Amino acid sequence: MNTLWTDIAFWFFSLGAIWFGWRVFRTDSMVRASFALLASFLNAAAVMILLLAEYLGVALFFMMAVEMTVMALFMVGFMMNPAGLNPMMMVHQHALSILFGVVGGAVLAAVAVFGDFPLREMGPAVGQIDQLGTELLGNSMLIFETAGIALLATMLGAIILSSRSNRFDTRSDDGSMPPPLDPNDPDSVPDIEQEEDQAGHSHHHH
Amino acid sequence: MPDVTFINPILSSIAVFVLLGFGAYVAAVINRVLTPAPRGARLAAVLLAPIRQGFLLLKEQLNCTERPDMMLWSVAPAAYATVAACAFTVVPVDSHLAIADVRTGIVLFGAAEALAIVALFLHGWSPNSHLPLIGGYRFVALGLSYELLSMFVLIAAALPAESLQVSQIVSSQAKIWNVVRQPLGLPLWIVVTLGITFTGPLNLADGSDLAAGTAMEISGRHLLLWKIARNIMLTVFCAMGASIFLGGWHGPLLAGWAWILIKTLALMVLVSWIGKRLARLPAERAVLYLWTIGLPISFLHLLQAGIEALV
Amino acid sequence: MTLTTTLIVSAFLWGIGVYGALSQQSFVMLMMGLEMMINGALLAGAAIWHFSGAGNPEGQLLIIIGMAVMAIEMAVGFAVVINVYRVRQADVTESIEDLKR
Repeated sequence: MNTLWTDIAFWFFSLGAIWFGWRVFRTDSMVRASFALLASFLNAAAVMILLLAEYLGVALFFMMAVEMTVMALFMVGFMMNPAGLNPMMMVHQHALSILFGVVGGAVLAAVAVFGDFPLREMGPAVGQIDQLGTELLGNSMLIFETAGIALLATMLGAIILSSRSNRFDTRSDDGSMPPPLDPNDPDSVPDIEQEEDQAGHSHHHH
Repeated sequence: MPDVTFINPILSSIAVFVLLGFGAYVAAVINRVLTPAPRGARLAAVLLAPIRQGFLLLKEQLNCTERPDMMLWSVAPAAYATVAACAFTVVPVDSHLAIADVRTGIVLFGAAEALAIVALFLHGWSPNSHLPLIGGYRFVALGLSYELLSMFVLIAAALPAESLQVSQIVSSQAKIWNVVRQPLGLPLWIVVTLGITFTGPLNLADGSDLAAGTAMEISGRHLLLWKIARNIMLTVFCAMGASIFLGGWHGPLLAGWAWILIKTLALMVLVSWIGKRLARLPAERAVLYLWTIGLPISFLHLLQAGIEALV
Repeated sequence: MTLTTTLIVSAFLWGIGVYGALSQQSFVMLMMGLEMMINGALLAGAAIWHFSGAGNPEGQLLIIIGMAVMAIEMAVGFAVVINVYRVRQADVTESIEDLKR
């Protein structure tokens, strides 16, 4: 392997990951924030490929693309300024969080510099995916299956938590009211239309 | 297991450009041949028409909307074409020769598909216009379904080869092609191709019910790049289908690359023909069919491929 | 590309993630901070696997479990965000201050 090119690629991708990670919390446009996070992940996955964890890097490409698209959809749904047409910075305890971020990162970096990690030579890269597969479905089958069941539970939980029909044959939006038009005046809730449901009753919202 | 082979990066890039440019041109010609023309089409006219249209589009005026996300808008077609080109590098172009025959070729191809969904969402989001936005959202809703379908199909194709490397998958078809021993695979792959290139029945991103959807606000060289990107994606998916289902370079008499070319061409004609024959599905119905019929079929396909590979 | 430099890079990513998770008011941005933290952790895991782990496949398994954790956290997190919005009309953390003194 050409070590010079590896180093250049490593620094390029690492600095890219950090820069995109910083851009996530600095940009005004929320869609750009999600895809900056995607870019950060892609750069980190590229570093993993350089570290010869080939399957992990490519699987991260795969997963992060879809995850960040879903996150972009949620951004557009939940944030007031998804397109970045107005400047916006919604932060709280800003100084404290910068302090925590810097101190935490510095502590971990100190562990990296002063820690005594054993250096072992890695075996040949050929046959690694075979090894991973054999390990996943051989010795670590229990872990793999538990992860599978956890993912199944997640799917069920996410659908149940977010489904529109409630447990008791009502809609989950029952009793929910839109936010007031004037944030300081709790009585300025807009009137919404009376909704008829199948039984012909209408829910009266105050 | 043979180790990966890597070619010079500069030659590889040039090769990818040339091959995909040729593929996009051929896709445009096939499209024109299959489109009914009022007075029939003469061969010279059909062959020159894509080039003529390309130059006309190059000279056309660029359209712009109010406060678009200009950076993402310009990047989106290029991103779509780039991920297609990255996916193309794992597909064999000659006997035992792919431009970047990585050991995780199948997963890289799937990752390129997922990133294509991202590119298309960006293309729908960026013009700050409502119909492209709807087109982008509809595509994302379906794109996840195609992703799942294609994942299962690719994994099933990798089972007989016991490798994620695409050239190994083609080598495993030396005796019998995957289209024969995994019969559900090619129909599912055609559905995925129709979906990712949003043609025909699954043209929800750029459908005419959305007045050309994500392509509504673009014109000129932007539109040209978008069309070329779509054709490139079609070429790449048909090349991959030819490799993992139709036996790639295997075949009597002719050289490996000739067979790959013929099989890719056949799949492109088939997919374009199906695209032109079937009407566009409404978005809700498409999601319903893909998730309630398509996914169980792909599970069955995986099960059948697994049993067939074990026995 | 040594172990030290890769771990420093992952420490930076983790630090940015902590900043995001602590400072952002909106739920979705907070979750993006959490994702960044896991990103840093995965990169550190891959680095230690390469340099100190001698290519032991269990290291890769740990990273795959980390990726599964990321997916699970995002899925359930977004479902909870939707639910909180339905019940409280809250899309920023400032709106759900009931336990605050």
